[in-house]
Amino acid sequence: MTKLILNRRKFLNTAAMTGAALASPAYLRRAHAQGGEVNIWTYNDFVPEAFKEQFESETGIKVNVRLVDDQGKQFNLLAAEAPNPSVDIMTVAGHRFLQFIDSDLLAPLDTDRLSNWGNINPTFSESDWSTINGEKWGAPILSGMEVLAYNTDYVSPEEAETWDTLFSEKYSGQTAYIIQDMMSIIMLKMGYDGNMVAYMDDPEKAAAIVEEAKNFLIEHKPLVRKYYDGGAEFQQMMVNQDILLGHSWNGPAAALINDGFPLGMAIPKEGSYGFVYTYNIAKNCPNPDNAYTFLNAILASPEIGAAMTKASGFISTYKDASNHLTDLEKKSTSFPDEQLANLQFFRAEANEMKYGLVDPAVEAIKAA
Amino acid sequence: MTYDASAREERGAVAESASDRTFWGRLSSWAPYQWLATFATASPRRQFLILAVFPILWVLTQHLGPMLQMLRVSLTDAYPVAPGVEQHFTFDNYLSFFGDSIFWMPFFRTLIFAGVFTFCTLIITYPVAYFLARHVSPKNRMLLLLLLLIPFWVGEIVRTYAIMILLGNTGAVNMVLRFFGLIDRPIPFMYTSFSMGVGIVYLTALYMLLPLYSSLEKLPKSMNEAAADLGAGAWTRFRRITLPMTLEGISSGCTLVFLISTGFYATPVLLGGPSTTVFAETIAGFFHVAGDQWPTGAAFAVIMFLAALAITAAFQRLMTALRKGDTK
Repeated sequence: MTKLILNRRKFLNTAAMTGAALASPAYLRRAHAQGGEVNIWTYNDFVPEAFKEQFESETGIKVNVRLVDDQGKQFNLLAAEAPNPSVDIMTVAGHRFLQFIDSDLLAPLDTDRLSNWGNINPTFSESDWSTINGEKWGAPILSGMEVLAYNTDYVSPEEAETWDTLFSEKYSGQTAYIIQDMMSIIMLKMGYDGNMVAYMDDPEKAAAIVEEAKNFLIEHKPLVRKYYDGGAEFQQMMVNQDILLGHSWNGPAAALINDGFPLGMAIPKEGSYGFVYTYNIAKNCPNPDNAYTFLNAILASPEIGAAMTKASGFISTYKDASNHLTDLEKKSTSFPDEQLANLQFFRAEANEMKYGLVDPAVEAIKAA
Repeated sequence: MTYDASAREERGAVAESASDRTFWGRLSSWAPYQWLATFATASPRRQFLILAVFPILWVLTQHLGPMLQMLRVSLTDAYPVAPGVEQHFTFDNYLSFFGDSIFWMPFFRTLIFAGVFTFCTLIITYPVAYFLARHVSPKNRMLLLLLLLIPFWVGEIVRTYAIMILLGNTGAVNMVLRFFGLIDRPIPFMYTSFSMGVGIVYLTALYMLLPLYSSLEKLPKSMNEAAADLGAGAWTRFRRITLPMTLEGISSGCTLVFLISTGFYATPVLLGGPSTTVFAETIAGFFHVAGDQWPTGAAFAVIMFLAALAITAAFQRLMTALRKGDTK
């Protein structure tokens, strides 16, 4: 049954994406048939298939997509290839910018070459995290957040208003979370800055906070069913009813909702973190002109942004993209204002200190 | 004489025209090729070298090469090396394992799991191998072996997902148990050491089965028959004849399964739970989570490799001693 629903969804998505691409050929028709190729590292469904086909036929530029599933792996791949990478465009989460910039792996984005830059919602394109050293480093395409997702047949919306439910005896053995992400959320839940920016001048306090969060997760370890790593795993556990609630990225959860699975999601009152995926141009990339042509094309219309949302479940950063979503898709990618007020973005300034403390803590929790 | 000469000329002409037509024919009549072939096969020593050079190159580049590279990375303080960063030699990556007890638990857990799962695999596959080798007619053996091999035509991940389909809360096992009214609520098999064990035993069974089958098949039936004639019961015959005579197969199978089990990553990630974290997951964490510490991950991989080799060597010595004891 699930398989049928997924197939139907895929079909509808393909049809929708085809419509989206056909609705936005104006920019592409103007593009010169310049040929060559553009190499992109990105997540599954981040380049709509119909858009890709039309872009290739209109510009003669072949789009080579290499799928990535982890920011760290992508960083290592790029670092290994530097200073002459094989990639033109990669997909970096906003809070990982600094790591890539500090390692001299990204080229600053010349927004003057992107006539469609204005199609991005300024909330994302002009926010503080997107400008580093006075430069823009990426084009925001999709945004996501850490949510509490729950099976609505068993868990009530009121229960999902707090992260405490995830650690309650009632749902013992029926919960799951990504342990690394949960560390930040637990720090926030305890009233601390999960980004650790506030403790950059006080490493001892930072260490004490991480220790407290670590001890909390160790204490509650008997209640959790699974520490997982990727969105597909979360979906699998939900569909098989191995878990009834869990921490999740909103994208995979939204995809399940759009499939008709009885799933709800909430940003609990203690707060949570958001992140933005951006398309970035690699320093010394082999096809910079084609990379800019691709970026400008994919930013051309809200329909393309909506197609990316339909396929990935993440929220589009394009202006008016939501106008091209169905009611169910809108519901799965929107949150009440009072919940959004609890959201803050991941920040990168203290990453070196933070992960220097969090990584060993994660190992300790796993080993405990 | 005239006839012979003309026939030879005719055969030569046919051969020449054939060699003109095909690539191999042209190549074999090409002077440099003929010189090279004569040079390479001039002596048995040269023939041996020519035959050995490709396997040696393969082992060096595809097996030893990556391991030596991993060893090299484990002795550096930075990898991949970012532009402007200087790489230094260091033992710190090894010291970080011995200096922090949080890494010992997954390390020893992995070795214990590998040992237990190897033993379980042996216990499960021995009767199967025995049945195949001793009770199935030779003409049916290949068919049964082929049937046993079928699951191994697909990859590790697919077979792991098959286990998930079987053991999930809505999986086949729970459905059958509920159908027969044996349970009211699904039994949470998944994400436990049980589900991980089932997955690893399933994935490694063939590596145990084939050496066992091979050693059991070689065992002469006459020995068991002679023991029976002398009054030995079934258990005594198994304990005094069959088991000692198949120690070599047990040794090979256990070594293979143990070494493979220490390195499993995807199966523990997909089937294991919060309390089953294995060392491969710890190592992988150094390669791709926020820390991106390849040298530490490489050092931990080397430590596990050496530990697994040491245990295997000790096991082999034990088995050799047992075999010698039985032949005295």
